[in-house]
Order: sequence, then structure tokens, then C-alpha cells
Amino acid sequence: MNNSLTKQQRMAAARDKINHKPNIRKRRLIQSLAFTFLWIMGFTAIAVLIWIVGYVFVKGFPAINMEFLTTRPAGGFDGEGGISTTIVTTVYLVIFTLAIAAPLGIGAAIYFVEYANEGQARNKIVRWLIKAARTGVEILAGVPSIIFGLFGFAIFVSYLKLGFSLLSAGLSGACLVLPVIIRTTEEALLAVPESYREGSLGLGATKWQTVTGVVLPAAIPGIVTGIVLSVGRIISETAIFWVTLGGSYRLPQNLMSSGRTLALHVYMLATETRAFDKAMGTSAILIIIIIILNLAINLSSKYFQKRLSGK
Amino acid sequence: MKTTQKIQQKLKNNFLFPKFLALFSLFISAVFLVIGFLSFFSIIDLSINKLLALITSVILSAAFFFLAKGFYTLQNWARTTLLSILLLVILVLLVKIIFEFSSIVFAGKQVLSIGEILKYIGEYFLRTILYISIPGILFYFLYECDEVFSETPKQRHMFDYTVKNFLLGTALSSILIVIFIFIFTFQESELAISEIGLNELLTGTIWRPGAIIGTGESHFGLVPMIIGSIYSTIGAIIIGIPLSFGTAILLAEIAPHSIRTIFRTAIELLSGIPSVVYGLFGMVVIAPLIRMIPIEGNTTGFGILNASIILSIMILPTVTNITEDAIRAVPQSYREASYALGATHWQTIKDVVLPAANSGIIAAVILGISRALGETMALIMVIGNSIAIPSPINDNPLSIIFSTARTLTGNIAVEINYASGAHRSALFFTGVLLFLFLLIINRLANHIMKEKKTS
Repeated sequence: MNNSLTKQQRMAAARDKINHKPNIRKRRLIQSLAFTFLWIMGFTAIAVLIWIVGYVFVKGFPAINMEFLTTRPAGGFDGEGGISTTIVTTVYLVIFTLAIAAPLGIGAAIYFVEYANEGQARNKIVRWLIKAARTGVEILAGVPSIIFGLFGFAIFVSYLKLGFSLLSAGLSGACLVLPVIIRTTEEALLAVPESYREGSLGLGATKWQTVTGVVLPAAIPGIVTGIVLSVGRIISETAIFWVTLGGSYRLPQNLMSSGRTLALHVYMLATETRAFDKAMGTSAILIIIIIILNLAINLSSKYFQKRLSGK
Repeated sequence: MKTTQKIQQKLKNNFLFPKFLALFSLFISAVFLVIGFLSFFSIIDLSINKLLALITSVILSAAFFFLAKGFYTLQNWARTTLLSILLLVILVLLVKIIFEFSSIVFAGKQVLSIGEILKYIGEYFLRTILYISIPGILFYFLYECDEVFSETPKQRHMFDYTVKNFLLGTALSSILIVIFIFIFTFQESELAISEIGLNELLTGTIWRPGAIIGTGESHFGLVPMIIGSIYSTIGAIIIGIPLSFGTAILLAEIAPHSIRTIFRTAIELLSGIPSVVYGLFGMVVIAPLIRMIPIEGNTTGFGILNASIILSIMILPTVTNITEDAIRAVPQSYREASYALGATHWQTIKDVVLPAANSGIIAAVILGISRALGETMALIMVIGNSIAIPSPINDNPLSIIFSTARTLTGNIAVEINYASGAHRSALFFTGVLLFLFLLIINRLANHIMKEKKTS
């Protein structure tokens, strides 16, 4: 289009543009309109949170009492009983899952940070393996939980014949939290100043002594953050445990028995019974746990930053 | 305090204790050997294969013999080995005691009263001490007399090398899990591909696992679920993206620090809330609200609209966080240059900051989509789970948002526990489909974000 204009016309247009007086008032108006819109969006997001948490608390707290916490669910269409065994099962599952995922994840993170960039890594195969492992962590972090559930169902429940059990659920859950632990631990280890390592190596300690004696103790608050984050993930996870843990409301007698976590209990109450008040009560307890975990994460990460910067 | 120090001092120069352990290991080694041969010559019955029993016992015996030798010559690796074995024994005992204790306290219809719990705590405390005392004391002594043991530089190097490779093994666990997921889900879905055929799976419009209906005829078309997933995701994007972007821009550019802290805490909390709680909220609160909309045929309140609303809340933290990070990553000099040219704050955001952050924003949207497609339990609770292709409930084509539907993920979760044969295999095929698709778009998002960082 521009080509059809003569040179004079184009210059005139350009001059017009330069001489055009910006309308400050109009621009301010647009800005304040836009900012109002952004504030509304932000406050809507917060309002939704307050609405959900508030609703669950208001409807849920009346259902919570000592009896609710200390009775076992009884099944049935009315959702009789409380949540005692589901709390215990949740605790079992969290401990068991972390017992598998934490050593693996922390070990992997130590390798990525401390070993992957030196010596051995000059080997071509090892370098390729490290790259594959990093890609693996990235992929795992994006896999939706139902796929972990399917995987756990295929390998642990059916193929290894572990059945619907704490063992299958814990192993599948470990796959879910593994990338979380690896990433947070990696960050924590990277935050430890290089001078710590140099000091230790300079004293004649071996690499492993340096890692266990100097780097890990300095990074512990950061690692704890990762662990707490995983605890939250396990507690709020439903899909995996729905297909690997079974859903029996009895107390697991050993690692091979089926069970029901708090989140799973909410799902079952909501879909199979009409006890919405009890579902709300259980949800309220879940949200309280999540709030406490979030506080713990904030505190521990603040402590970590203070400790590393303070010294 | 003083006595423990004395004990430690004594232990540190105690050569008798390792010698005793060497003798003990030798004894265990001999016992294993004797048991192996006795069972091989049918004198005692171990009720396993005789040859296997002999081989196992010889191996165990050899292992303990080496341990004995290690202790006799005061090698550090022997100490480390025994320490790990003891730790394992203590852990197993603890797990056993915890299960026993809680099955007494919690397994009944009602948790026991506090008095009784205290009684059992006392009892189990004593039992714990009793069980763990022997391995515990051994562990303590061994742990304290570290100065007696020694290792050569070569051994130390060997140990470091072993540790390094062991850690490489743990690092590889993630990619191993990915490979296992591939292998097992593909293997399980093989039957569906061979028996039902890709064509019907991907283009069939009827999902009717025959075993449920009772007729022999069964159809496994995934189209209804694919459409359900797509619709609910699109809905979540339409509702959630303005909300997330608005919040992200607000937090990154406009809001003062104090408000930002509050908002961030709130969004963190939002991302931590379990998905079932969102589902429950959708069932109890959103569904009745949708039911109140006066449109013909709108009776249940469950369906695509409800699912989209719940999903949009669930993807909000993901999209907001990534977008905010992307906006913050734009260099301050860009903004300053724009202000210097006389642009207002909003013009700067609109014309300079957002275009500069566009790749991060695209990545945020992609990850939001991935999150929405992968969500399962909350959607089962609010989408209605009908297996028909979603269709408008009255003459207005827009009323399709009130139609019930079912997502791919929901289909898996609802039916997997009782499915068998081709049905089960078809569900695994759904999983493969989902896994591959999400893998691709997640890689895409990562790629976009990385490209931005390096450029």
C-alpha cells in the first residue's frame, strides 16, 4: 500500500505522526482502566481461594469433633463413622513413599550437582547417561498422576502381584514425588557456596566425606523443604491411590494390605455416599494440613537463606 | 556426660570388640555352611530346592567369612557393612512394632481411650527397647570405635568410586521409571491395538465395553472422551487464562511488595489444595449455581461448564507462576527505555514487557493445557461422566457447555479397577495416547522456555 504513495505523501504522514500530540489524559484513562481490570482479576483469584477455603471450613468444622476423628469409617450409603483409620493410612503412606523416594531423589540430586560436572563425566557414555537422567526428571515432572496410577497398576498391582496395597501405592507415589525431591535438593545443594567444598577438600577429605560432612548438613533446610513439599503432594494425591491402594476403610495390618487415605476418603464419600458434611469435614482437615505444611516450607526456606547468607 | 565420654574414649582404643565381632561372624559363617550341607544331605528339611539351599548357604557363609576377616584385620569396610546391616535390622523391627502398635490402638471401631493408649505406649516402649537393645548397642559401640578401624588409600578410593556409581544409579532411576512406564503401558495396550484396531480406537464414536452392558457387542471408540477432554480444556483456558495473566501482570508489575507477598502465599495455597476438594466444591457449590441458570434442559449442573470452572481454578497457580517469572525475567533496562520515551506504565507493559516475555507466556499456556488434560479426580466429580459425545442440550449450539461429558483421564480412573481383556487394554491405550501427547507438549514448553534463556 505504501508503495502507491508518493514520497511527499509519505513524508507528510510521518510529519503528522511526529507532530501528533499525545493525549495524556486519554492515555492515563486507558492506563487506569487497564490497571483496574488487572486488580479485579487479581482479587478474583484471591476471592476464589477465600470462597473455597471459607466454604469448606464453614461447612466442615461442624462435622469435626473428637468422635469423628477417633472412629473408623463404617462404609454404607450414609457414610457412617469417622476418619481414624484414614489418618493412620495417610501417615503410613507418606512415611513409606518418602522412605523410597527420598534416598533415591537426594542421591540423584547429589550426583547431578556434585559429580556430573567432573572426572567421570569426561567419559562419553557417562555423559550420555547423565543427559538421559536429566531428561527423565523433566519428563517425570510433567507426567499426570493418572499415568503413574496406570503404571503402578500395570507393574506393581498386576505384574508383580502385589495387589492393592500400601506397597504398590507407595512405590507408585514415589515416582510422583521423585522429580519434586530431585529438583528442590538440587537447588539446595547449588545454594551451598563453593568455598565450603574447597575448604573441606583442602583439608584432605574425600569427595564423599565432603558431601556427607559439609555440603549435606549445610543444605538440609533446603532438602527438608523438598520433603515437606512431597508430603503435601502425597497427601493431596488421589488418582494414583485410587487405582493402586484399593480403598478398604480398615486399618492396614502390614505393607501388603489395602487402605484409604484422607483424600481418597473424600472422593469416596462424595461419589458413593450422601454424607457431604463428612466429606467437607475431611476436606477441612486436609486444607488445615496443607496450610501447616505451607507455613513449614516458608519458615524452613527463610531459615535456609538466612543461614547461608549469614555465615 | 562424663561417663559417656569415658566410654567413648575406651571404645576408641578397644581392639577386643572388633576381634569379638570377627569371631562372631566366623561363627555365623560356620552355621550357614553347616546348615547348607545338612540340608543338602537331607538330614534337615528346609522345604526349598536342595542345590539352591546349598549355593545360598555357601555364598552367605563366604560373605560372613570375609566380614570376619575384615574385622580381624580391622578394616573399615567391615564396620560400614555391619553398620548398614544393623540399621536395616533396626528399621525392620521398628516397622513391625509400629504396625503392631497401631493395629491395637486404631484398628477397632473406635480408637482406644487415652488411658489405654498410654498403657499400650508404655508396653510397646518397653518392647521396643527389648527388641532393639542388642542391635542398638552393637550399633553404638561400632559407631564409636571408628578410630580402631583403618582403610588404605586404595580402599578409600574404591569406596568413593562405588559411591559415585551408586549415585549415578539413583540418578538414572528417573529415566528408568520413564522407560518402564513406556514398556508396561505399551505392552498392556498391545491387545487393544491388535484386537480392536487403531482405526476404531481413534475414530470410533461409541464407547460401550460389552461386559458392562451385558450384550456381547462392544465398542471402544475414544472420540467422545477426546472431545470431552478438549472441550473442558478449552473452557478452562478461556476462563483461566485472563484470570492468571491478570494476576501475574499485577504481581510482577503493579502490586506493592506487601500485597505481592500475600497474593503469592494465597496462590501457593491454591496450588496445594487437593484436587478432590476442588471436585467436592464443584459438586456442592458450583453445580447448584449452574442449575439456577434458566436455560431449557439445564437440569444437572454437572458438565463441561462446571468442569471448566473447576479446571480454570486448578491451572491458575501454574499459569500465574510461570507467567510472572517470565515477566520478571524481562530486563529492567527495557522498561526504563520505554519510560524515557514517554510511554505510560500501561503502554510499557503492553508494548514492551509482554512482547519481550511472550515465549514464557506461551510456555505457561502450554503447561496450563497439560495440567488441565492430566487432571483426573476433580473432573470425574463434576463433569457428569456420560459416555456420549457432548451435544447441545437445546436448539442453541452454545448450550453445549451444559452437556455432560467424560474425559480421557476420567475414563481410565472410572473403569480400570474392574476392566479386563480388551476393555482393560483399551484403557491402557488411552493412557499411552495421553502420555505421548502430554510428553510432546511438555517438551515443547520446556524447549520454548530454554530457548528464551539461552538467547
